[in-house]
Amino acid sequence: MSRPHQYIALVTSLPHLGKLFTRKEVPISEFRLKQRMSMLEEEHRRLLRELVEITAWAGVARYDRDDEVISRAKQVIDDLKDYPDLQHLVGTRMETRTLIAALRRRRDGQETAGDIVSWGYGRWCGWIKANWNDPAFGLGHFMPWITEAHRLMQSGDHIAMERLSLTQVFQQLDHYGALHEFDFEAVGIYVLRWVIVERWSRYNEEDAKDRLQSLVRAALDGVATASGGEAASGIFNDNTLSLEGATS
Amino acid sequence: MNEFVVALGWFGLYAPVALGAIGSAWGCALGGSAAIGAMLDSEGGYGRFIGVSLMPSSQVIYGIVIMFSLQQPSVDAANGAALFGIGVLSGFTMLVTGIRQGEVLASAIHASKAKPEIFGISLAPAAVLEGFSVFALVFALVLAGSIPS
Repeated sequence: MSRPHQYIALVTSLPHLGKLFTRKEVPISEFRLKQRMSMLEEEHRRLLRELVEITAWAGVARYDRDDEVISRAKQVIDDLKDYPDLQHLVGTRMETRTLIAALRRRRDGQETAGDIVSWGYGRWCGWIKANWNDPAFGLGHFMPWITEAHRLMQSGDHIAMERLSLTQVFQQLDHYGALHEFDFEAVGIYVLRWVIVERWSRYNEEDAKDRLQSLVRAALDGVATASGGEAASGIFNDNTLSLEGATS
Repeated sequence: MNEFVVALGWFGLYAPVALGAIGSAWGCALGGSAAIGAMLDSEGGYGRFIGVSLMPSSQVIYGIVIMFSLQQPSVDAANGAALFGIGVLSGFTMLVTGIRQGEVLASAIHASKAKPEIFGISLAPAAVLEGFSVFALVFALVLAGSIPS
C-alpha cells in the first residue's frame, strides 16, 4: 500500500468489534483478519506479530520464565520506537500483568514480593514491594480495580476476575485507540482488541463443549435419567472453567 | 518588474484550477480508499460509499469557475497583482478544503459502517467544509468583478 492512504482502506475494511462481552463470536475470522493484514508492509507485519505475541497470553505462554517474558517485552518496546503509543501500550499491559501476578502470588501464600525485578515489570514494582500487605499495594486510590481484583481473587471468582482484567485491558486499548484512526497504531490496537474478543468468545465455546461432553458421558452412564434437569440447567450456569492465568 | 507582476498574474489565474485539482484528487483518494475498504466489509450500500467519496471533486469545479471569472482580455501590471492574490488564496482554500473533506469523509464512512444510522449526520462536517469552499468561490467572483481590465 502506498502512503498516505496506506491505512485508510485497511482500517475501514475491518468490522466494528463493539463493546467487550457483548458479542458471542468475533465479527471477523482469524483467516480473514490475516488476509486483511497482508495489506501491510512486511516490516509492519513483523512489528504487529511481535506486538500480538507479547501482549496476548498465547504468545507469552511459550516462555518458561518470567524474566524471559520481561526481556522479550523490552525488546519489543525497543522495536516499536517509531510508535510511542504502542510502546506505552505494551508497557502498561506488562504493568497490569505484574499487578495481577502479584495478587496471585500473595493469594498463594507468598509473604513478601521477593525479587520482584525478576518477575515484575514497570513503575509499580517498588510500590508492590513496599506495600505487599495492602490489598491494592498502595495503588488503590488511583487504580481502584486492584482492590476489586484482590477481593475476587480471594473469593475464587475466576470468571469475574477475568472479566475485570479484560475490562482493564480493553480500557487501556480504548484510551490509546481514541488517539489513532487511520495509522499503524490503529491497526495494532484493533488486532489486540480482536484477540481479546476472540479469546472471550472461545471461553464460552469451550465451556459449552466441556459441559456437553460431561452430559453425554452422564447420559451414556445412565445417570442422566436421575439428574437430567439439573445437568441441563447447568450448561449455562457452570462457571467452573479454569481461567486462571488466561489474562491477556 | 512589470514582467514579474505579469508572471504572477498568470500564476494566479491558473492557481485555482491547479490547486483545486490537487485538493480534489487528494480528497477523493482519501475518501475512495475508505470506500473501497468499507466495501470489503459490507454486503451492500456500495453506491453510497463511493458516492460520498467523490464529494471533494467539487473543489476543482469551483477552481475552474474562479479561473473563468478572473480571465481578462490581457494580463498586465495593472491587474497582475489582483489576479495573483485572488487566484492563489482561493486556490489554496480549495486545496485545503479538498484534502480535509477527504479526511472527514473517510472517518464518516468508517463510523457509519459500524453504525449505519449515523450515515447522514456523519456527512455534516464534510458539508460544512463544502460551505467554506463555496464562500471562497462566491467572494472570489465578487472581487473578480472589481479587477481593472
